[in-house]
Amino acid sequence: MSLSRSPSPQRGGGWSSPGLTTPYNGSSGRSSPMGNHSNGIANNITWASAQARSAEIKGYPSFSTRNQGFFHRHLRKISSSLPQFNHTDSRSYAEKEKLGRGRWPLLHGTKIEAILTRVGRIIWRMRLRLAIVLGIILLWIGFYVTPLHRMYRRSPWFGGGSKFVIILAANQGGGVMEWKGPREWAIERDSVRNKKKYAKKWGYDLEIVDMSTKKRYAHEWRESWEKVDTLRITMRKYPDAEWFWWLDLNTFIMEPSYSLQSHMFNNLAKNTYRDINHYNPLHIPHPLNDTYLDLESRSPTGDNKTESINFIITQDCGGFNLGSFFAKRSTWTDRLLDIWWDPVGYEQKHMQWEHKEQDALESMYRNQPWIRPHVAFFEQRKANSFPPGACGDRGDDPKIHYQEKDRDFLVNMAGCEWGRDCWGEIYKYRQLSNRLNRNPWEKFKDWISDSIRSARQSRRKEEKKS
Amino acid sequence: MWQSRRTGKNMRRSTTFFPNENDYPIEKTTPKSWARIPAIRHAMTLYPYTTYFFYLDYRALIMNPELSIEEHIMDTKRLEDLMITDVPVVPPDSVIKTFSHLKGDRIDFVITQDKEGLVHNSFIIRRGEWAKYFLDAWFDPLYRSYNFQKGEQHALEHIVQWHGTILAKLALIPQRTMASLYKDHSGKNVGATYKEGDFVISFEGCDKEKTSSCEHEMAPFFKALESQSETGG
Repeated sequence: MSLSRSPSPQRGGGWSSPGLTTPYNGSSGRSSPMGNHSNGIANNITWASAQARSAEIKGYPSFSTRNQGFFHRHLRKISSSLPQFNHTDSRSYAEKEKLGRGRWPLLHGTKIEAILTRVGRIIWRMRLRLAIVLGIILLWIGFYVTPLHRMYRRSPWFGGGSKFVIILAANQGGGVMEWKGPREWAIERDSVRNKKKYAKKWGYDLEIVDMSTKKRYAHEWRESWEKVDTLRITMRKYPDAEWFWWLDLNTFIMEPSYSLQSHMFNNLAKNTYRDINHYNPLHIPHPLNDTYLDLESRSPTGDNKTESINFIITQDCGGFNLGSFFAKRSTWTDRLLDIWWDPVGYEQKHMQWEHKEQDALESMYRNQPWIRPHVAFFEQRKANSFPPGACGDRGDDPKIHYQEKDRDFLVNMAGCEWGRDCWGEIYKYRQLSNRLNRNPWEKFKDWISDSIRSARQSRRKEEKKS
Repeated sequence: MWQSRRTGKNMRRSTTFFPNENDYPIEKTTPKSWARIPAIRHAMTLYPYTTYFFYLDYRALIMNPELSIEEHIMDTKRLEDLMITDVPVVPPDSVIKTFSHLKGDRIDFVITQDKEGLVHNSFIIRRGEWAKYFLDAWFDPLYRSYNFQKGEQHALEHIVQWHGTILAKLALIPQRTMASLYKDHSGKNVGATYKEGDFVISFEGCDKEKTSSCEHEMAPFFKALESQSETGG
């Protein structure tokens, strides 16, 4: 039993010197330690020494030492039979010497220990610098893992994504004139999903417009001219956006890692050309040379300023192609969209104009000089590649058809509803896009499975031979 | 063969440009009056610093040369006062009405109307991108091939009603401001006949007169102009 039976520290005491409270020291009945204490006591006159003196004087200890409990009587027997741990003194908290600190218990004395210790020391010394570097890395990771990077891309001051609106013409026909079966639904789902993912990644707005046939206009053929009206409505809906990218439904963005800014708009002068003589499938006479026109209208490239480009289209083998084009918000664009459809022109020409707005635009480009200085063209494969079958069955025209090795941006399966398999094509291009844009882990897995497969095949071939 | 007169105005100086209708690429089957549109474009090319282009048919006389276009018509406040708003653009019963909230300095096209339609032989265009757009749109071959009954006048009335971007820059002003009639043929244009002090007198319809001819009608006014210049007025 501990000496401190009584609760009061004055008599029971003993906590000032931990050596005294342990009943294991000198449990022979002599409770006073007599001389050497394990921990030196700061003050000489302590309770213990006082008790010891009184015990000496008295001749017997001042409390009963007999029969103080089971553990007191049997402690030595119990403690000697308990398992012993090689708990060296130097490891205990109380030990002053601390011989084991800073040493690797298992690796003690080996070379690895020396290296690790040195490394640890270096790290400790450079802890502030390393903390800064670690902080930066964590911020970097945090930027990309959280939606922060998307906010950055979308904001108008940093990434500029909110300045772009993608207009996707969905629900073509709406099932009014023709049945819209599971294939059509699947094509629409794939196309919409592809554009949604792209717009979300780069912070663009996506406007999915319904192109179903509605009896909105007095003349039924006018219904297919909705591109112009839709573009006007969308421009009003997104007043902060600058560029509007029209996409037909049968298109697929093959490389979602290209942003529009980096792919086209950051260097518009290099990515577009204004002189249609560069590639002129319609043989439109250019530049205009009537003497009554001003210099800008007669120049082949307008005023040569990038800011004056308000409309970017591409040409395929047969003329202008409005499956994928860009329109900028400007007064010029407002006027173009206003004058594009006119009943006089429509009445005379709608039977000849198979491609409707496209042909009307070609006619306007040809005949109205105010249009030319503000229209630019981009190479077809920049954002409007064709699959084999459109503009050539073999798909080998390097100006027109999709080239996998060049990683073209977008495929426009134009005219697939006449004679080709739209669903098959979009499926094929989706798989191709997924394969081309695998992340490194998937590439590694595919490499392993491919090499196993080829090893198996070559083994089978050898077996067949022998 | 007729010639029309184009007056360019820049500050206080003005020059006159007489285009020849044969200079412009118009098909043989199209009436020659369409030539006035490329002619205005031509004038804009030849006089790159002129702001206002005042188109005037040859059968018209500027009776009061004291009046300048800037002050008499095109000045912002004056134009806003003169503008006739919220009336059918093409009388008598067009559903399209002129806009009522247009600012004077945004107007690029000033024209008058009589009771039958727009008066297309006397109008003012301000130089600019809109002017190029308007003239090129008006001159689109599809309008010419449509064979409007009154040629470019009907085409003008058509595009002004169908295209809001054109109507947004158009101002109608009272007819006597720049196209007073010498005689009211149809009887409906009361109050639009020429009075002393009017800017321009238009001899529209003088070639259809049975009893007299254009020279006959214009003669007294020529005399008046000559005497005016003699007296140094």
